[in-house]
Amino acid sequence: MTIDVAREPGQHMALSARGVQMEYRDRQTGHRLLALERVDLDIPDGAFVSLLGPSGCGKSTFLKIVNGLILATAGEIKLHRVAKGREDAMVFQDAALFPWYSVVDNVAYGLVCAGVSRKEARSRAVPYIDLVGLKGFADKYPYQLSGGMQQRANLARALAVDSAILLMDEPFASLDAQTRELMQAELLRIWTAARKTVLFVTHQIDEAVFLSDRVVVMAARPGRVIADIAIDLPRPRSLEMKQTPEFARYEAQIWKLIAHQQPSDTAPVP
Amino acid sequence: MLGVRNATLALSRVNERLFFGVIGFVGVLVVWETTAQLGLYRKSLLSTPSAIWRAALTDFANGSMAPHITTSLSEFAAGFAIAMAVGIPLGLLIGSFRRVDYLFNGLLAGLNATPNVALIPLIILVAGIGYEAKVVVVFLSAFFSVVVTTFTGVSTTAARHLDITRSFGGSRWLAFRTVVLPSTFPFILSGTRIGLGRALVGVVSAEIISANQGLGFYISLYGTFLDTARVMLGIIIFGVFGVVIGEGLRILERRFEVWRPDLHR
Repeated sequence: MTIDVAREPGQHMALSARGVQMEYRDRQTGHRLLALERVDLDIPDGAFVSLLGPSGCGKSTFLKIVNGLILATAGEIKLHRVAKGREDAMVFQDAALFPWYSVVDNVAYGLVCAGVSRKEARSRAVPYIDLVGLKGFADKYPYQLSGGMQQRANLARALAVDSAILLMDEPFASLDAQTRELMQAELLRIWTAARKTVLFVTHQIDEAVFLSDRVVVMAARPGRVIADIAIDLPRPRSLEMKQTPEFARYEAQIWKLIAHQQPSDTAPVP
Repeated sequence: MLGVRNATLALSRVNERLFFGVIGFVGVLVVWETTAQLGLYRKSLLSTPSAIWRAALTDFANGSMAPHITTSLSEFAAGFAIAMAVGIPLGLLIGSFRRVDYLFNGLLAGLNATPNVALIPLIILVAGIGYEAKVVVVFLSAFFSVVVTTFTGVSTTAARHLDITRSFGGSRWLAFRTVVLPSTFPFILSGTRIGLGRALVGVVSAEIISANQGLGFYISLYGTFLDTARVMLGIIIFGVFGVVIGEGLRILERRFEVWRPDLHR
């Protein structure tokens, strides 16, 4: 397995994955378990792509492989090279802020990891704190923030390193329904302002359709891509769009794809 | 409005705590003194608060108490400082490197399980009965709890927090400084607190077994004279030590752990 950084000029793919495979061996039974089976994926610069699927389909695993947190057993990933800093930055599922750091130190942390001095990292973090709507909360500690605000800080930390691609691992999964809807709209606003490529992992159909240019649908056992659907809905999008028939058609189309996979999901594991 | 009401509530709660605390304390003294004066038991058994007070006044005034306190304090401080200086770094190393863990874990577990008092005769043989021997006893008493809690803290560092440094490409050393250390800090503090208690026990036991100065010596000396007032006085001074040190630690905790909500309630 290799993670390459594309060097040739004129490359327009922020991410390109070929045959990414992830195998585990069950310690007790010794059976091979395919968490990911030959996943191919291309994401052009500036696109918003969602990976959608039931739990166990390997969507989060794929994201962690791209991020370098997990090593795949086979395959190749190319990331668009950026002038400086990291190619990719992760927005974690649970906000995963350090409780001992204030908001500004948490947001600055990605830069500190890249070798930027703490002082400079702090000052570079400030505009991103403002961008995600946390102005005035820079000196608060995570326990003083609501779940939604923690996720905003989580997002700001990833934005601050100014990577080519943003990896988002179900960042709104633990939020209540209203906050989640608000954060979806907020994310689109920030995405438009920050002009990032986004790979967004979710198990919520409406979330994926609302946010994305493309929804990549995955199935479990083995984890694999079963469809890649372009969402031709106009931008900028607002939450009202979720009530339109076009939106409902996309939801229904994707739901049908996933429902087809359900029997295998409930079948006993061989 | 709400803020004002909360503030007064907190204030009255503090006053309430102080008020009842004092009542409890004074109450015990009054019951102690009256039952003794009424002759419900022999005064020489438990002494009385007034007799202890008189003994304290005499011994502090004529300067016979001061050297005992300074001796105990200095043995305690030296032994405890060494226990921290060796224990914390060793705990961090054991927690961070698997092989250092393998190297020391069995040894530490064995020594930790051995009651320290059992070692005192050996320590006297090796280090004599002077100041150094007491420092060694204090060190051994505090050392293990400091090491064990520190490495427990390191090894329970949340994987999701370590993932953040890795995800953003930070070095292992950066992860140690920015993740492992702060999340281990509460453990180090509680190890320190447990260690302080044990170190205090160490001072007393070492001084009672063999010494010619120190509070433990003071207690055992007057014990042999059946001077219970002075025995009680020595015990009370140790108690005050313990309380003052414990409170000091609590203040430190609040000062350095502003991020822990449970400390602000």
